[in-house]
Order: sequence, then C-alpha cells, then structure tokens
Amino acid sequence: MKVVLEKVFPLDASAERTWKLLEDIPTVAGCMPGAKITERIDATHYKGTITVKLGPATMSFKGDIEVLNLDAAVRSLHLVGKGTDATGGSAASMDLVASVQAAGQTCELTGKSEVTMSGKAASLGGRLMAPVADQMLKQFVANFAARLEALRPQEAASGDSVSDSDAAAIAPVSVTPEVANVPHSELNGLALAWAVLREWLRGIFTRKSV
Amino acid sequence: MGNIDANLDRLAALEGMGCSRKRREDPRFIQGKGTYVDDIKMPGMLFGVMVRSPYAHARVKKIDKSRALAHPGVYAVLTADDLKPLKLHWMPTLAGDVQAVLADEKVCFQNQEVAFVVADDRYVAADAAELVDVEYEERPAVVDPFAALAPDAPIVREDIRDKQTGAHGARRHPNHIFTWNIGDKDKTDRVFDKAEVTVSQDMLYPRVHPCPLETCGCVASFDKARGDLTVYITSQAPHVVRTVVGLLSAIPESKIRIISPDIGGGFGNKVGVYPGYVTSIVASIVLGRPVKWIESRSENLSSTAFARDYHMTGELAADRDGRIKALRVHVTADHGAFDACADPTKWPAGMFHVCTGSYAIPNAFVSVDGVYTNKFPGGVAYRCSFRVTEAVYLIERMVDVLAQKLGIDKVEIRLRNFIRKDQFPYTTPLGLEYDSGDYEPALKKVLAAVDYPALRAEQAARRADPDAEWLMGIGVVNFTEIVGAGPSKMCDILGVGMFDSCEIRVHPDGSAIARMGTITQGQGHQTTYAQIIASEAGIPASVITVEEGDTSTAPYGLGTYGSRSTPVAGAAVARASRKIREKARKIAAHLLEASPNDVEFDLDRFVLKGSPEQFKTIKEVAWAAYNNVPEGMEMGLEAVDYYDPPNFTFPFGAYVCVLDVNRFTGETRVRRFYALDDCGTRINPMIIEGQIHGGLTEGFAVAMGQEMPYDEAGNLLGATLLDYFVPTSAETPHWETDFTVTPSPHHPIGAKGVAESPHVGSIPCFTSAMVDAFAHLGVTHMNMPHNAFRVWQQSRSLGLTRQ
Repeated sequence: MKVVLEKVFPLDASAERTWKLLEDIPTVAGCMPGAKITERIDATHYKGTITVKLGPATMSFKGDIEVLNLDAAVRSLHLVGKGTDATGGSAASMDLVASVQAAGQTCELTGKSEVTMSGKAASLGGRLMAPVADQMLKQFVANFAARLEALRPQEAASGDSVSDSDAAAIAPVSVTPEVANVPHSELNGLALAWAVLREWLRGIFTRKSV
Repeated sequence: MGNIDANLDRLAALEGMGCSRKRREDPRFIQGKGTYVDDIKMPGMLFGVMVRSPYAHARVKKIDKSRALAHPGVYAVLTADDLKPLKLHWMPTLAGDVQAVLADEKVCFQNQEVAFVVADDRYVAADAAELVDVEYEERPAVVDPFAALAPDAPIVREDIRDKQTGAHGARRHPNHIFTWNIGDKDKTDRVFDKAEVTVSQDMLYPRVHPCPLETCGCVASFDKARGDLTVYITSQAPHVVRTVVGLLSAIPESKIRIISPDIGGGFGNKVGVYPGYVTSIVASIVLGRPVKWIESRSENLSSTAFARDYHMTGELAADRDGRIKALRVHVTADHGAFDACADPTKWPAGMFHVCTGSYAIPNAFVSVDGVYTNKFPGGVAYRCSFRVTEAVYLIERMVDVLAQKLGIDKVEIRLRNFIRKDQFPYTTPLGLEYDSGDYEPALKKVLAAVDYPALRAEQAARRADPDAEWLMGIGVVNFTEIVGAGPSKMCDILGVGMFDSCEIRVHPDGSAIARMGTITQGQGHQTTYAQIIASEAGIPASVITVEEGDTSTAPYGLGTYGSRSTPVAGAAVARASRKIREKARKIAAHLLEASPNDVEFDLDRFVLKGSPEQFKTIKEVAWAAYNNVPEGMEMGLEAVDYYDPPNFTFPFGAYVCVLDVNRFTGETRVRRFYALDDCGTRINPMIIEGQIHGGLTEGFAVAMGQEMPYDEAGNLLGATLLDYFVPTSAETPHWETDFTVTPSPHHPIGAKGVAESPHVGSIPCFTSAMVDAFAHLGVTHMNMPHNAFRVWQQSRSLGLTRQ
C-alpha cells in the first residue's frame, strides 16, 4: 500500500531560517506527530520511533532513519525511514524530500513523501492511509511552523493569523496553541479521525457529478 | 405376493435409498454438542501461535526470540533453525513442490509463517508472539503472474531458481512452475485457420477463498512413554495426513493416530497439510505435552488454501450456424509462492480438461502455465474437484460469446451443440470418457419452468424503453461436471491411488457399524451411507452407526473432497453391503435348510423362492452368524471393500438466472434462480437439496462479491470478514431446485455425486445473466465479482448512469 503526497506549504519565515530548522534532524522528527529520535548513530543515521493512535488501536513503529542527502545550496533534504511496529505485524517506510524555496520575505516548504505500508496496517487500514498520511503531513507542517515561530527574532514577531486547516495549502500555516504545546505527543486519534472524516465528506460533496 | 401395505411398511422402516431421512448429525449440532478440534482439551495442553511476516517478499536477517522466551508462561519459540536438524523446515506439498514450514532465510508471501510460540494458553502465546523480534530486508514483490514471467521479475523462489525441471516438466523462468498441454494442437490450429467464425475472450477467475465457518487447527499429542503420536486435526483426508506425517517424522504409521472430529466446513480448505500442524507436532514431541494450534479468521483467509486465480483466454471456432468445430484455451495460473495444489500427479491443472463441457466439440487444445507469485499458496479449494469450476466457467462463457457474435439465442446455440444421449459413453477430444448424460430434456424442462420466451419478451420491452431504470439479464448454463476422483490408473495423491473404502460389521443383534475412509464436513455421511447399506443389505438405517475420521479404526481412504464420497466411497459401501448380503443369504439358506440358489433377498429378509411365508430376517441371520453357520463357513458377518472406480462420474445440470440490475447504482437483485441437477441415482433427496442450496449460495458469494485483492507491494486487502463477502440469509436469494435422473452406468448404484455441481454451475450462470443485462450494448464479458461498484462502473462506461 503506497501513498505519494506532494504538498507546498507557505511559511511565514525567511527561507534561510526555515532551512536552518530543517537541517536539525531531531527537531524535524519531533515535528512529526508521535515521532521522536531515540538514538543518533552518526550525522546521517538515527534510530527513532513513531506512535500512531487510531481509535482503540495504537501502533508503535520502531526503525531507522537515514539522511540520504542534505544540500544547503539548494536547501533540500532527502531522508528515508523504515520500521516495523512493536507487534511485528506491520511495517512502514517513508521516503521524504523536503525543500525550501524563498518567496520574497517568506518562503515555501515543499514536501514530497512516499509512504509504504505492509502487513496489518495495510490490510486493515489501507483505505484510511491516504487521508491519514495527508493529515499527518499537515500536522507536521503545523508543528514545524510553531517551532519556527518560537525561533522568530523578537523584532519580527507579529500576531498570529489563525487559519482553518482547509486553507493550509494556500494560506501561510499558523499554529493553534494545543499543537504548538505538544509537538512530541502521539498523533491524537480522535482529532485525526475527525479530520479524516471531514476530508472524506468534503471529497464526497465536491466530487464532480457523473 | 403379500400385502402391499405391509411391504411399504417394511420399506419405510428400512429408510433406504430415495428416502428423505433426517440427518443423524443434526441433533448434536443444533444442540451445540458437536465436537470440533477447538473443543478438544487434554491434560497439560499448551497453545501455539504463529509469528507471521508483514512483508510479501523479504529476507529474514535475524530473529531474536529472547524477549519472547523471557515472557512468563512461554515454553518454546520455534524457528526454521530449530527445525533444520530435524529436516522439517521444509515439507513436500501435494503438487510435487516443497513449502517452507517456517521461513528459511526469506519470506515469499505476506503472513507467511516465521516462528511458532508455545505457551500456557492462547493469550500468553499471542502476547509473546509480538515479542519475537524479526529483522527483515524488504524485497520487491510480484503479485501479477504475467509480470512474474518478465525477464527481470523478482525471483519468488530462490531455493529452486536454477532448477530446470519441476515436478511437471521443464521450467522456462525462475517463476515458472510448469506448462501443461493437452489435446491436438496442430489439428486444432488448422480448424481455426479455416473456420467460418472465430471468437476469443479473455477472462479472469479471481482468487477467492472458501472461508469455512471453522478455521483450521489441530491438537498434537506425543506420548513419550508409549512413543505414539495422536493428532486431532481439521482434515478432509486424515489417512493422507497420517502418511505425510509418517514420511516427515519417520514415526511408523502404526504409531500415528490422526483423528478428524466434527468439521465445520471444509470445501477443500482442509485438504492440505499446513505449517501449523507440523510445528504443533514438533512442539509436542519436544515438550512432551499436547499442543493446540487454531487459526484466527484472518490467518485462515490469508495463508491456507485459496481457490482459482486463473487468467484464461478462450477461443472457439464454429460455422455460421453456430456449430462448434474447435476450442482453444490458454491459462496463466497464479499458484502463489509454493505450488500446493492438490491435483492428481499427472494433471497439474486438475480436471481442467473437462472444459469442452456439454458440447460435441471435435477438436480442442489446452495449455496451462503455472506461475509463482508473492501470494499465499493453495489452489486446492472451494467446492470443486480440481479446477472444474474454472473449466465450466470458461466453456459456458465462450458459448455465450459465440452466440452473441452470431446473433443466435444462447439456448439455441446450446441445443445445436449438445452431446446427444445416444453418443454416451462419449470420449472428448481431451481424452475424458463421459459416462452418461441427457442434456436436452434437462434444459427444456428448466426453460418451460421459467417460461423462457416470456422472459425474453419482457427483456426486449425493457431494452426498448430508454427510461427503464432496471436492466434485465438472463443467464443460461448447461454444465457437465467431473467428480469421483478417481481411477487409480489416472489419479493419485503422493503416489497413493484415489480409491476409497468401507468396512461393515454386523453385530449379533442385527445392528451394524460401518467405518469409512472418507470424512463428513456437512455432507451427511452418517445419514446417507446408512441408507445405502439399508437398501443393499436390508439392515434398517436407524440401527447402523457410521464412523469416520479416526485412522486407528477406519480403513484407509483418500478422504472427502471433489464430490468423491458418493461416487467412490458410496460404491465401496454398496459393494461391502452386497458381500454381507451374499454371506447372509448362505446362512439364511442353511437356516431354511434349502440351497442358497433357492433363497432370494427381499428388502429386509431372505425368502424361499415360491414360499413367501418361509423366510429369515436379516436380524435372525445376524444372530445365527455368531452361533449357527453352514459347515466350513467362518463365523461373523463382516465385509471390507476397497473401491477403485473404473472411471469418473459426470453429473450435469441446467440453470437459469434472472437478474434485475439498476443502471444508476449497480444494485443487483436476483429475481429468479432455477437449478436443475442430475446427479444420477438420488440417495437422500433432502440432503441433495441442502447440498444444492449450499452450493448455490457459495456460487452467489463468488460471483457477486468474493475476491482477494492485493496491492502492488503484496499486501492482501481482503483478509477479514469486513472485506470478504460471506452471504448470510439476508443477502441470499430464493433458490428453486429441480432434477432429472440419469444414472451412472459404471457405478454400483448409479450415483454420481452432487455437492459441487451447484457451485460449479451457478457461477457462470450469474456472469451469463450479468453480461446479458448489458449484452445489447455490445458487452461480451464482465469479470467477477459483480458487486455494485463494479457493475456501476460498467454501467457508467456505457453512459447508462446519466439521468
């Protein structure tokens, strides 16, 4: 079961500052809902975990992260993560290319990810994969934006422009306080389920009639 | 002759053949008092759970079982490395291949067995199974059999990658298992070259699973003091299991006892030997305690014998009047990661060569390529003797396609091509000899019952109305089955001929026990075998006990699958009964002080010819058998018969299905399904009807909803009952059944077997009806399953979903 996502998120920060944060692998991993780096082997190899809770089921994946490319010149990061869940029944891998493009004073974060699931997660949860991956990416960017915000130089600070996640793809991503406060928490099952349902309903009602 | 009423009373008391005797099995089942494998509890019994692979294709780099072994209540964790010293990490399959018992360095399908955890109970074992750390290195998977034959395809079976010759001849690619050709290719090609009309159609018979109510499982108990092994097992062929266990373990068969207790449905799923059985036996031998292993539903649906997965191309050559001149077929058969079909050794596609069907087709050629993919092994199963379902689907679809091309009604084209009654016994161009058949009256009876012309008129009106919301499809099928495997000169399993057996002992009080080499899984053997004995030997069915499934008491037999019980074991019952009757006649003559030639059998007694008042009942004779036999005769009244059938039997049937199909939603309603079956002599009409209802319902399931889809990485997306369609009474349509009787000339009682016919026949009938609903728009075929989504897609592609 494979899902390929490519999204562009405008961020309210300079390209240089955004790239600085993106280079910091443990922090980037920490922005992934439910993920954390547990061990740094060397500059390009890490061990980590990611916990996903969906309704009554919790899956905890444990695996390796390898940074394949980190190119400051073009502000591009390519990493691969692979792991199996603690019960041995599922496996997942993710190939992520993230890059930062300057856009005037602000920038755009482009994320291209390919998520592959095997085992129970794919057999039982296959249909939910695309919307779940989509939501995870959105939460990731929200967390990432919150980190950026925290690093923002004092003088540049301004009021948050709160936006609905509907507009995430077009409006600069901002952060709701709860997300910003719990960047390391596991992916919130109920909120995720709600987000998935909402996306699905929107899909139904905006689909072109046949 | 005596009073007719008295004779009728005596006949009724026997409850012999032709009587709708109530099933002897049901009192215990409907009270919840059946004994299934999971009901077996033994002192000190442990429980095993499999650790399975999440990947369809991966190297096993490391297995760390330390955390699992440290878990309280865990006794053992077996891996391939533990089985290697015993040479049990691989086992032979029924198709001449080998299968990994526990993954040896790599896994080839998702949910493949990797390790076996044995613990105090199933909960502890399941918890500990999650603590076994397996490190995998994922490899690209191949799930499409055509892609598997590409030059650069991932190699599924590295263990045999360089093997040039498999169990069924040359291999041309590491993922290629065999090519099996039958028929005269050159002659068939020549007929095609010169034919007035030819048609060709690709079709997929998708991978499905029989999903019996009871999953597979066993309890293995090795008694160290006595040195003998007892295994309770959900097996359709317990004697074959004993032979396989003997071969694998080097324990003599005399020290192995296999018991199949009550079985909650088999449908072919319980023919094979699965890794869980082997690991349970090994664990019991190692630990000296009984070990139980029971599959979960998902394990059953994802790792034990599937059915079908045949990608078929059919071609017919005919003249302009629709008279068929030749059939050509190519099949790409997806066997999964190990070739574990249960086909007779010389026929790797089973009896697929019955694909000339009910039609007098003078020329035919069939070629089947077996292919390995990263899917679970099997190919045995689902209410069908060895690929007959696929064969019947192919020919019935092709005849429809030809009819459509020529603009001839699908009934008319069948009538033009039927093998006529006077042509039997009929030898097909693919070498089978059909025993008997009478197709035309059967089809005509069904057409009259459903008023076929009126249905066609209604359909024409519906098609003419552009506002009609519901399309109407009429399916017609006239199938010929092949069952009763089989003659030992053609059929064997692991070298053992496919005979079957019966042993009858008549006790002094006139009651009897019959022990059989078969095993019932819902067929009602305890009821019907007794009826055969009642009619043949005059012992009332009510005092006959039929016992099966215990290899220590039953005579050796090949088991129950492929509708073989009645054609093979039923014949053994009849012949053993006749041996009893013959000995009883001599004893009766002795008691009557007459010559045996002057004594004749009459229902339940032996009568002195010409003096009907002078007789001895079978009950009296049974008593005498133990105290007063003619001089020189052995005491007792027993008989054994091993029956090696001279030929297969060929049941047939005519089915009509009427579907209403909603063009906007794809919703399908089965308005009518009329099934006429001819299974030769009928032993118990009520059981036959029950079998037909079951077979039709499973046919409905396959045609309308069942599939085992895979994604490109080899994840099985249908292995739970959330996804896999199992019809309940809510979805199941109303069935109308009917029959004709054309006995088999070579069978002792003329019976042919029936359980599979309704499954084999109904599936193409549903497709025939579904395609017919769209046929006026040029549709010639639609692949199964015909679920609402897929039907809606068809409707949409034709522009029918626009208001």
